[in-house]
Amino acid sequence: MSSPYKKNFRIAALKQRVEIDLKHGEKTCKVLERAIYEIYNCNASGLSFEELYRSVYNMVLQKYGEKLYNGLVATLIWNVKEMLRSFKVAQNDLFLVELNRKWDNHNKSLQIIRDIFMYMDRTFIPNARKTSVHDVGLILWNDIVLHSYKIHKRLVTILLDLIQKERTGQVINRNLMRNMTKMLIDLGSSVYQEDFEKPFLEASASFYSCESQQLIECCHCGEYLKKVEKRLHEEIERVSHYLDEKTEPKIMYVVGNEMIASSMQRLVHMESSGLLNMIMGDRYDDMSRMYGLFRLVPEGISTISDVLNAHLQQIGKQIVTDPEKLRDPVNFVQCLLNVKDKHDKIISSVFNNDKTLRNALNSSFEYFINLNNRSAEFISLYVDDKLRKGLIGASEEDMEITLDQVMMQFRFLQENDVFEKYYRQHFAKRLLSGKSKTVSDDAERSLIVKFKTECGYQFTSKLEAMITDMKTSEDTMQGFYASQVSSDATNNLSVQVLTAGCWPIQPIAPCKLPFEILGMCDSFRNYYLGTRTGRRLTWQTNFGTADLKANFEKNQKHELNVSTYQMCILMLFNASDQLTCKEIEQATEIPTSDLKRCLQSLACVRGKNVLNKNPMSKDIAEEDAFMVNDKFSSKFFKVRIGTVAARKESESEKQETRQRVEEDRKPQIESSIVRIMKSTRVLDHNNVVAEVTKQLQSRFLPNPVVIKKRIESLIDREFLERDPADRKLYRYLA
Amino acid sequence: MAKGSDRVRFNVGGKIFETTTTTLANAGRDSMLGALLDENWNLNAGDGAAAEYFIDRNPACFSVLLDLLRSGELHLPPHLPDKLLYREALFYGLLDHVRAARWGPFDGDRLRLSSSIYGRAPSDATAIRASPDGGCCVAHGRVVHIYDWMLDEHRPINLDYQQVNDAGYVDSGHIVVTVSERPGHTIGGMGLFSSSSGELRHRFRVYHDSKAKTFTAGALCFSDSQFKIFASCKGRSNEYGIGVWDQNTGDQSDFFYEPPGCPFGEADELQWIKGDNFLMVATIFPRIEKCFIGILDFREKNMVWSWTDDGRMTTASLDEKRVLHAIVMENNRSICVVNQYEDLGFLDLRSNRGGGVRWSSRSKLLKRKVRGEETCYPKLVMKSGQLFSSMNDTISVFSGPDWVLTSTLRSSVGGSIHDFSIGGDRLFALHSEENVFDMWESPTLPIL
Repeated sequence: MSSPYKKNFRIAALKQRVEIDLKHGEKTCKVLERAIYEIYNCNASGLSFEELYRSVYNMVLQKYGEKLYNGLVATLIWNVKEMLRSFKVAQNDLFLVELNRKWDNHNKSLQIIRDIFMYMDRTFIPNARKTSVHDVGLILWNDIVLHSYKIHKRLVTILLDLIQKERTGQVINRNLMRNMTKMLIDLGSSVYQEDFEKPFLEASASFYSCESQQLIECCHCGEYLKKVEKRLHEEIERVSHYLDEKTEPKIMYVVGNEMIASSMQRLVHMESSGLLNMIMGDRYDDMSRMYGLFRLVPEGISTISDVLNAHLQQIGKQIVTDPEKLRDPVNFVQCLLNVKDKHDKIISSVFNNDKTLRNALNSSFEYFINLNNRSAEFISLYVDDKLRKGLIGASEEDMEITLDQVMMQFRFLQENDVFEKYYRQHFAKRLLSGKSKTVSDDAERSLIVKFKTECGYQFTSKLEAMITDMKTSEDTMQGFYASQVSSDATNNLSVQVLTAGCWPIQPIAPCKLPFEILGMCDSFRNYYLGTRTGRRLTWQTNFGTADLKANFEKNQKHELNVSTYQMCILMLFNASDQLTCKEIEQATEIPTSDLKRCLQSLACVRGKNVLNKNPMSKDIAEEDAFMVNDKFSSKFFKVRIGTVAARKESESEKQETRQRVEEDRKPQIESSIVRIMKSTRVLDHNNVVAEVTKQLQSRFLPNPVVIKKRIESLIDREFLERDPADRKLYRYLA
Repeated sequence: MAKGSDRVRFNVGGKIFETTTTTLANAGRDSMLGALLDENWNLNAGDGAAAEYFIDRNPACFSVLLDLLRSGELHLPPHLPDKLLYREALFYGLLDHVRAARWGPFDGDRLRLSSSIYGRAPSDATAIRASPDGGCCVAHGRVVHIYDWMLDEHRPINLDYQQVNDAGYVDSGHIVVTVSERPGHTIGGMGLFSSSSGELRHRFRVYHDSKAKTFTAGALCFSDSQFKIFASCKGRSNEYGIGVWDQNTGDQSDFFYEPPGCPFGEADELQWIKGDNFLMVATIFPRIEKCFIGILDFREKNMVWSWTDDGRMTTASLDEKRVLHAIVMENNRSICVVNQYEDLGFLDLRSNRGGGVRWSSRSKLLKRKVRGEETCYPKLVMKSGQLFSSMNDTISVFSGPDWVLTSTLRSSVGGSIHDFSIGGDRLFALHSEENVFDMWESPTLPIL
């Protein structure tokens, strides 16, 4: 415990000390104030750093932090105001120079002052939660100098004027510009954005809007784009030289918006220089420029894609509806491929493989390929052509490319099942017409593998079964000849055993075979059924070929390569000299239409007319008479007599194929409905239709009417029932 | 100045020092000596090598600090008080240099007791927390005492003089304190204080249905990557759960209401799981009869994992192993728990409700001591691959993949350890019997 006396003494002493210190404090403040004045007037070298630093230290130590801080702020304000006065009067050209010089000075002084007040910055300021010395300096500069109304307005106007000058081709002092923008950035990003960037972007917008209007009147599209590109480069360069890098996307946007977005439609559709013109003229440079610029604006790519789409659909439609082209399926497909190739190249080399544009290309292809419902058939015919002869001598790589192109087209088809039908038919013909008719087994197999990866096992199982049949037949034939003890040297039989159901063959009644062949056939039948049980063989006489040796006048010997039907017809003439069409039909039981076609090819084709016809007309009537053309001659020993084949399907056949396709679709639709209903139990009509469409769209687009019919059929067969309360609802029964 | 030389001559308080500008540059631009080098002050101008630069300060301390700048090491002569050196270092702006050189990087196996600090608060201490820069705060009853890294005591802080439940450093300058609710007030039990001035900077509020409600805040934890503060909260009208606040704005950003049977509002331990961005919540005996541990996902607002020893405790014999503390291991794969015999146990986080605790059988090797009345519950802390566990008057350090006991820390005074905390490369241990806490440091690295 201290005594009362001592206590009193202490209090008195304390009071006295405060008084002395106060005076001393005032004095120190004056010294510092003076020092700051000297610093602003660039006389710092005469001062002692240690002394000043120690003064600040002492002031803070003696709890005069608050006073010191306020004094500092007041002194700074006075000095900044003093500076303001000196360059307010500076003339236009000198204004920026002067402002820059003062700002430099302020910055330097601030650094020195900050060093002196370092101790206060470190101890007093964080505890008292004040703004640090450096920040105070910047805030004061911003508030007092920049936001004195006239200075601010003058600064912005001058800066924008200079930029405008530079845009019109004059040279400006970029260094000074950089210093000024750096000052604004240093004062805080909001100062830069509000005080400079915003007016700058506005001024730029009006400048470029003007320029855009002028240019579009006098330039064609390519030229205009070139100019815009140049402007953009200029702006990027400007940003890198004296603006904040964050301004770059903003100014790019402004230029894009004013020069591209606003006149985009006009540019694209510009007559004789727009995008269409570029595509047709293969002007890759212009297109790539357009893509680069349009990409910058929001609707740019979709504008290009719209034009591309419209263009593609137009030329596509032209191709698929051109009756001239419809006559030649191979050419038809080749044309499509050419169009696709050309635009693929454009997209990959010019449009940077843009996804949107590629989708546009694909969707327009899908659109117009499916516009013609014979596309599936034509594509299959194209493959057929390629595999029969088009690829002879082609390297493996070329073959792969062709096959990939085929696959690409196949993907666009909505009705994959129709394609499958045709493909199977053509494939069967290729297989049956003998080895020589198809380029290579490898190509066939490779294509089947591709289909398999694209559409799954289901799609190709039959095709694979067909190949297997061919193989087994070979083995069977070897076995057959090995078992045959007395081999018949004159006639040679080769049989292909085809599994029913796998081949696109309608069972038809076989024609009457000549007795010479019949014996062979029977022995094969006996052999085949003898080695296997539970099989049934039917002869498909509408397929197959035969080689006949024929003698004509002047000792002309020829080997005729003919179809089975043709063989049957020709063999008749061994017995009689002249036969009418009707007689032939009765003798062979060949269906009328096929018979007519065979007779046509035997009698009416120049250079291959082994038969003579009376009367000599192209069309075949029932009463027309035929006889052997003894005067037949040919350069070749072997003569191949083709069938006047309707390579392309006739109208009625087309109908038939359609019908078969529709028939095949029914069980698929039904099973899909049942699958859906089984999992959901109850569903309304619209949803059933939507789900079925979704499930089947990889194979074909089911018709809602057909779906409805299938549902009704399922209701009849008591797979489903209608909800008694809501007729639109179906319930699954099981 | 001599040609080609960067020598500088100082006269500090009458004593001459010679050094080079290179050495002075080590002080950094943000120090007095660094600023001195600035060309504005033409330190070297004028009268050649003989010129001295006068500084009116203590020469003995300058000598030590100059040596620090030269070598990066701090060597105090025995007669020089710490505080004097700190003061001088503050003048030159070299305090951070001194702190960095004062003690070595943290290593649980190289800890030395560096001092014991006696407190003055009469009531029982509840918690001790280390600050990131080596200071600490001690929650004593209704106030929190704050010590900076120089172990200078600052003004104690309080929140309406309510019972302090937990405290924690957001950063070295700011402390969050959680307290019990003050009856009759609508504002709740959590505040942010400046650690140097002790000022209340922010009061955290809890809103239920956009109405501010009074609450008792318990355990605290921080997520530095997401700038969030978590605290277990008990509201008056059964609003129990975990409150979440933003570290920058101080506003409530979320509230995880406890699901039935999961006593989060009273949690003893919260731990943010880095990387996985989950929060571990543990409520432990004796607050509740059973131990409950849950892992919460705040993005999905669900509990992704939980464990309780409910059911095992029904036949509560004294020998039963009881989980008394839990922490998530640094690999985020398991939770380490400890029982009253200081057995470590592990829970697998990868399998949900994956069976019981895998106890290590350490206690069988040790003699089970008969306990006095004053027992402290064990605590676990994980730090840089080492596991620290306090039991009675000892802290054990476990290392390696199998958690082998590698060191034991024990001080002679103060009795059993109530709480301990690691931060700023220091370990602080708070004793329960006497009003004292210990500070453990790793010495600076050996010279060779």
